[in-house]
Amino acid sequence: MSLLAAIRKLWHSIAPRSHSDVEEEFRSTLDAYQEDLIRQGLPEEEARRKARIDLGQPAAQNETYRDAIGLRLFDELGGDIRYGLRALRRNPGFAAVAVLSLTLGIGATTAMFSLIYAVLLHPFPYAGADRIMNPVIIDEQHPDEPSWFPLSKAQFDDLRLAAPVDSPLGFNNSHMEITGGALPEEIFGIYLTENAGTFFGVRPLLGRNIEPYDAENGGHSVVVLNYRFWQRHFGGDPHIIGQTLEINHAPYTIIGVMPRSFAFNDTTGVGDVYLPGSLMRGLFNVPYLTYIPWIKLRPHVTLAAANAALEPIVRQFARQHPERFPDHWHLALQPIIVPYQQETGRTLTLLVAGVVLLLIIGCANCSILLLARGRARQHELAIRSAIGASRWRIVRQLLVEAVVISCTGAVLGVAASYWLAKLPLLLSPDSFPAESVIRINAPILAFSVALALLCGILFGLVPALRLSRHDSASMLPGRQIGVVAAPAKHRWSVLIAAQVALTLLLVATAGTAIRSFLHLMQMPLGYDPANVMKLGIMLHTHDPGEWGRIQSREARTAYIEQIREKIASVPGVSTVAVGTDATPPYTGTESSFNIDGTRDREQPQARVMLVDQRYFAALRISVLEGRIWNTDENTRGDFIAVVNHAFATRYRSSFNTLALQLSIPGLTSKNHYQVTSAQSTAARQIIGVVGDARNDGVDRPVVPAIYVPYTAVMLPYVQFFVRTQGDPLTYLHAIRGAIASVASDQQISNGGFNGTFTLNEAIERDAQYSRQRLFSILFGVFSAMALALALVGIFSVVAYSVAQRTTEFGVRLALGAPRAHVLWVAARIALVSAAAGIVIGLAFDSFLGAVLAHWMQSAFAAGSLFAAAALLALSALLACLLPARHAIAVPPAEALRHE
Amino acid sequence: VYSPFPHRGEPLTKPVELPQGTLEMLILKAVSLGPLHGYGILLRIQQISGERLEILQGSFYTAIYRLERRVWIKGEWGESENNRRARFYSLTAAGTRQLKAETAKWTDMAAVVAGILNKKADEI
Repeated sequence: MSLLAAIRKLWHSIAPRSHSDVEEEFRSTLDAYQEDLIRQGLPEEEARRKARIDLGQPAAQNETYRDAIGLRLFDELGGDIRYGLRALRRNPGFAAVAVLSLTLGIGATTAMFSLIYAVLLHPFPYAGADRIMNPVIIDEQHPDEPSWFPLSKAQFDDLRLAAPVDSPLGFNNSHMEITGGALPEEIFGIYLTENAGTFFGVRPLLGRNIEPYDAENGGHSVVVLNYRFWQRHFGGDPHIIGQTLEINHAPYTIIGVMPRSFAFNDTTGVGDVYLPGSLMRGLFNVPYLTYIPWIKLRPHVTLAAANAALEPIVRQFARQHPERFPDHWHLALQPIIVPYQQETGRTLTLLVAGVVLLLIIGCANCSILLLARGRARQHELAIRSAIGASRWRIVRQLLVEAVVISCTGAVLGVAASYWLAKLPLLLSPDSFPAESVIRINAPILAFSVALALLCGILFGLVPALRLSRHDSASMLPGRQIGVVAAPAKHRWSVLIAAQVALTLLLVATAGTAIRSFLHLMQMPLGYDPANVMKLGIMLHTHDPGEWGRIQSREARTAYIEQIREKIASVPGVSTVAVGTDATPPYTGTESSFNIDGTRDREQPQARVMLVDQRYFAALRISVLEGRIWNTDENTRGDFIAVVNHAFATRYRSSFNTLALQLSIPGLTSKNHYQVTSAQSTAARQIIGVVGDARNDGVDRPVVPAIYVPYTAVMLPYVQFFVRTQGDPLTYLHAIRGAIASVASDQQISNGGFNGTFTLNEAIERDAQYSRQRLFSILFGVFSAMALALALVGIFSVVAYSVAQRTTEFGVRLALGAPRAHVLWVAARIALVSAAAGIVIGLAFDSFLGAVLAHWMQSAFAAGSLFAAAALLALSALLACLLPARHAIAVPPAEALRHE
Repeated sequence: VYSPFPHRGEPLTKPVELPQGTLEMLILKAVSLGPLHGYGILLRIQQISGERLEILQGSFYTAIYRLERRVWIKGEWGESENNRRARFYSLTAAGTRQLKAETAKWTDMAAVVAGILNKKADEI
């Protein structure tokens, strides 16, 4: 027997018999009986009649059959669903609003929970990501500024052997150039220890990852590509494996492409390419390799135990390189998720609270609609019950309709959540880990569907039980008279009050969020970002020809000055300044310094910025005391400095700022393109104090900063700050031309870190700014949704009750009731519930004010609360009066004929 | 006029009402004597009982359908005695076992109940 036949046989043995089969059998019985009767002498016509009377109709037999084999429930449920769908189609407005209420609630909730899951719970694609730690040094004098620390190869091996460590990963970032093409292209490369493949445990999209044998012979010249780089540079070429990529004039074989979700490392910079770490020794000619470590702990090792075990090892490192560690420190292992949790966690938690409110409002709305509609259907239900429908049958019918609504809402909500979950990423791409792929995952989908069904059953059951309780006798004539005011019990009035209170909460929160965002926008920056553009330039450190030309500090200074002058000569450009690491709102490198050579006690820290004297004019930073250095001093790289107001306030207490001298050890020990005549500890004279310009993010207090002529230390990259008349980006083409006229192959950096953008864009990219904006937009959207839902709820309740009581209002008007009174009667209950809701909401909000103030780090503004209450009151009034108007618009005679 | 169905007028004999579930047992017994179509089963039960059983049409076919669903009887289309298409039911192996078990159970129960009911006061 073939498989197909076996399946057919199995199907025949379990499938119910067909309608026609059952009917034919019954017909044959009918015929046999009829013949029997004729044989006994009855006339044919009478025999036929008697057979039908005794046995019944063949057409009805199938129902008996399905009942007998237990399919009746399904048949009836199918009927209920069909009937429910028909009823919804008859009343599309009701169906649309009810479904939309749930869609919004479920969609927003699912989206937010998915976002939380992707961002806070599982943002990384790495194997055992929850065990990967980022070891940081906590300076006990500045405990909120943890710092990373580099390790030598030997130290790295020590770490590998430590008991709690499963495996460590070392990495080192480097700016590189792709050469061999028409123009060099700057990229960001990350050297990885060769255990990277097993450490990450991420399957490459193409080819392979870096493996231990890539360390052989001083490192194989191989490279693994980042997905976005692969897309950008190679157009996603699937046959890229085995081809050669020329980096810094050396050939590398492409061995792999990582998947889109892999974007190591989001904190210090996402690499375009990943290379074996052993290569560094040959390339940089350094005595020892240094790595920044990540540590994957063994399973079941607690954070405290790991900290305790690793601290002595790192103490040992600190004795070897005391200059890399602060005076008083301790080690802390941070799960790699920590930076995002700190930055985004609270926002998301509050947003979740917001969407849960929205969901509750949506459900309440659905319930209000079901209740209101149920009242309108009392007549229909009474008839059903009068002709014999059991209470269970009616409850089931109403329940099925509610479930149909909630399931439709759930399906649409899930669809909506796909879009809604992407919304925060579109609005604020910089506040989320680059590697978190936000997708609607199965548990959340199940959660949302369960929620929808629960809503359907819960909110369908209440009206269903209530409506099915009435006995038909009292209901049927009640409709005919219809003059008596509606029963006093209005369960929906409680729901409306609750809905209004919750909406008020959401609207007030949104108001506060928007206010604090506006406050952030209006905060004085200390500089003028309008019409200033930043251009990054990377010197050709690896091009042998260029390299020779700019070997000396003076040659580099001259080269940069030449480009600067060319840019300044472009018509429409007003000021061009030079700086390194000086793009606000985050500027400078945190460095320690000494005042007047006193280097005992604690080592103070400040942001050190390398700029030229035009920087202050270009950014319009005001000079408060003293002066800025001049062109000659700049060219020479004199030992002078300008400090900001925050610096002056902190260290002026015992000295006059302008009399101070300071030295910055970090500036002199790092690089050999420094002023040759200076000794490493030479003191810098402070010659001026400038106003505070934001240097630690838009919303954080300005930290002490020291400005030093950029010529003091010639780094291989600089930025130009170009102030123009009008939108700076329109000058980009002319400026590129100006740079090319100095050196045709000089590339302006693009993408990644040194992108070309305006200072306004730099503010928008600021995580805090972007987060606050996200926060206000999302809360604004949620509260608008909630407001719309609440108003629709009030509107439909009043509309339903007016439609039901048309006769009553007609009689009232006919008896001479003033129109205003009728209007009041029609809208009264909804209005009173809305007012109660507002009062409850206000009370609630004042109670929650303290909590919110803590979470949002901004006061819960009383102004926005009352504005929200006023807005809500006004719109609730409108939502009541618009439908109530119909009560007085109907001519009394017509209203009385209404039945 | 004879009819196997309960008469709406005066019954000829005093009808016996069937306890719950008994009808199915009777159908199994009727079919065990040879394949029969639905009407035939009805006639045979009436015939064996001496026309004293009251079988409601609705419950009769419900019982047939249930037995078929449980695969105690199986139906096949065939020719009836007067050359009509009819559905003939026969006992399956499971049905045979079921009939045997039900018969034993029924006989036991009837014996016990009859034993109790027939006891006289002096026999206790």
